[in-house]
Amino acid sequence: MMSEHTVAAYDKELGTLGRNIAEMGGLAEKMLSDALDALMAMDLDLARAVVACDPRLDALQRQVEEFAILTIARRQPMAVDLREIVAAIRVSGDLERVGDLAKNIAKRTLKLADVPRIPRAAIGLKHMGDLALLQLKDVLDAYATRDIERARDVWTRDSELDALEDSVFRDLLTFMMEDPRNISFCTHLLFCSKNIERAGDHATNIAETVYYLVTGTNLPVDRPKGGSSIMTSDV
Amino acid sequence: MTDLALMTAPSPAPVATRAKIETKNLDFYYGATRALNNISLQLAPNTVTAFIGPSGCGKSTLLRVFNRMYDLYPGQRAEGEVLLDGKNILVPGLDLNLLRARIGMVFQKPTPFPMTIYENIAFGIKLYENLSRSELDGRVEHALRGAALWNEVKDKLDASGLSLSGGQQQRLCIARTVAIQPEVILFDEPCSALDPISTAKVEELLDELKAKYTIAIVTHNMQQAARVSEFTAFMYLGELVEFAQTTRIFTAPEKRQTQDYITGRFG
Amino acid sequence: MMSLYATRRRRDVIIRVLCVAAAGFGLMWLTLILFTLLWNGLAGLHLSVFTQMTPPPGSKTGGLANAIVGSLVMTVIGVGIGAPLGLFAGTYLAEYGRHEKLSFYVRFINDILLSAPSIVIGLFIYSAVVVPMGGFSALAGSLALAVIVTPVVVRTTEDMLRLVPDQVREAAAALGLPRSLVIRRIAYRAARTGLITGILLATARVAGETAPLLFTALSNQFWSLSLSQPMANLPVTINNFVQSPYEYWRQLAWTGALLITLAVLALNIVARLLGAERKTK
Repeated sequence: MMSEHTVAAYDKELGTLGRNIAEMGGLAEKMLSDALDALMAMDLDLARAVVACDPRLDALQRQVEEFAILTIARRQPMAVDLREIVAAIRVSGDLERVGDLAKNIAKRTLKLADVPRIPRAAIGLKHMGDLALLQLKDVLDAYATRDIERARDVWTRDSELDALEDSVFRDLLTFMMEDPRNISFCTHLLFCSKNIERAGDHATNIAETVYYLVTGTNLPVDRPKGGSSIMTSDV
Repeated sequence: MTDLALMTAPSPAPVATRAKIETKNLDFYYGATRALNNISLQLAPNTVTAFIGPSGCGKSTLLRVFNRMYDLYPGQRAEGEVLLDGKNILVPGLDLNLLRARIGMVFQKPTPFPMTIYENIAFGIKLYENLSRSELDGRVEHALRGAALWNEVKDKLDASGLSLSGGQQQRLCIARTVAIQPEVILFDEPCSALDPISTAKVEELLDELKAKYTIAIVTHNMQQAARVSEFTAFMYLGELVEFAQTTRIFTAPEKRQTQDYITGRFG
Repeated sequence: MMSLYATRRRRDVIIRVLCVAAAGFGLMWLTLILFTLLWNGLAGLHLSVFTQMTPPPGSKTGGLANAIVGSLVMTVIGVGIGAPLGLFAGTYLAEYGRHEKLSFYVRFINDILLSAPSIVIGLFIYSAVVVPMGGFSALAGSLALAVIVTPVVVRTTEDMLRLVPDQVREAAAALGLPRSLVIRRIAYRAARTGLITGILLATARVAGETAPLLFTALSNQFWSLSLSQPMANLPVTINNFVQSPYEYWRQLAWTGALLITLAVLALNIVARLLGAERKTK
């Protein structure tokens, strides 16, 4: 791969930055996965664990940011190093957001404990969650290996998630129309689906960052979109 | 004018519609040693072009070809073409003094002449123009203002140029160069002997000067190149490795060598 | 460890003592010479030394007026011819001919000339000027001095011009200044005090030369300002008087020697002061 810097400490700093991101990635992935499991299984303890995880992720993100700023001040990074550091800042921000979204799902799970459940309604959500997790895992691998092909795959695949969200939306709407008593439960699920879709967006953002990090150019502004017009997500 | 500079879309090599200076297959020799190898590039008018690269890469040599400074020394010769406004300046019999009046140069070490501040500026002007004392005064003031030095020296124009601080001396040299109204100004590591504040002043000056002049600057400070220039050329071992927009070179250079150099991974 | 250090310290002390002793030894002779000169010379220093002609043998009155003026005239003419020649040649070596093969030879020959015994130069002028002209003359003396001045000035000029950084030359050339102007207006100006110092030192060098004058200007007991005639001068007069049996002549010789020494000293001091001024700038 890349040869080493003349100043060895510089390599060390970039290494630290990379390790922090890796830790954040693992944590965010686990939080999202646990939050979804907790939602599906109504596992309140797991949901509380997810909520308790978030401060750690926030602290890590702050650490990455501070370290990145220090490195910029100290090394005046250029080219690939500059992109690396900017990427670290951006990726850490995205991962922190993913953690927030997972936390939100976990909180909703805790609220749903007293609400009558409709197990059928959660099936679509499960699909979405699996796909979002796959996206997140893939994009983190792409980041770790600087694999732009994989990053591009994640980027294109986001439309599938958008399409899934659309169908989940329609399903939940149907349930609510069938029986107004479902509304409370379904509304929470609606927000959860939105959260999952948002997490997917962050994975896409990371994919774009990886692409920029490696090539120095940006992916096109227009990404293949899925879903119908009412759901154009970026509100 | 500056449309080229403002263009942000990356392009492999800048192509000026009308280059101020253009080199075509330029080779340069110190005796039998080849110092430049087949250099072809264009300096766009009213832009700053930075030349970076490790010591001995030929960037200063290239600069000294532009005003044929190498002619002062025997055994040095350039082959190929260097076009100034389309005319080859490497042809024999060219009036070098007139050429150098059109292409000014500022050096690494400040080199004020052993005379007063006023004379340092007036000297060059009087060489080419016959002016009355008041006209000359005006020109000297104008040049000193142009080099952001007027306010510091207006009360001591009769002091020796050598009595100024290093940063002031360098700006005096810039004023001296500007005073004879050249078309191109070559800067050979103009800030390497200056403190950060003086450096900032010179950089600010560069930004103003490019409205009137075409500027080429050799620098070892990559941040400086990134700050002041629109185009950057990376040279290595006498070759032009990469020449592109500065934004491009310092964020996403195309060549591995360029990347290694600017990120500090060299050798 | 400590013993090694002690040895080194001891050695340092020994060397230092030896150095100081050597310097003191040299200085002692210099002081002795100056003291002897003052002791013997001051005794005969009257106004008449500057107003009266050299006395005939046995006379108890008389001065060195013709010798002093003669020395001044020949030194001025000698330096007047030699200094410009040296300046031009030095300029060629340092500026135009720096990279020429010719410069190498010129420099080499100049160095030989610089260290040539002055009597050889006297003999050369004798055979080249005195013999063809059919007699000793002040002109021949001046020429002999010029031949001594030239290589000194060539050397100092070249050295001083080389001290001017090439960057300054390049900066001047970069303004489009022609070569001649770069040299005249920039290089000379930057090297000015050095150049003057060189000429002063050369002057000091020839002011006391006897050998080249013996065969060229000879000397003259009488007042003469004619360049085609022998001319009185201090060194040869001293040389003649000091060997004479007459007390008064010997006294005049001492006084003359003191005058030359003081003049040379003054020139050297001025040269040094100029040099120091240049450095502090």
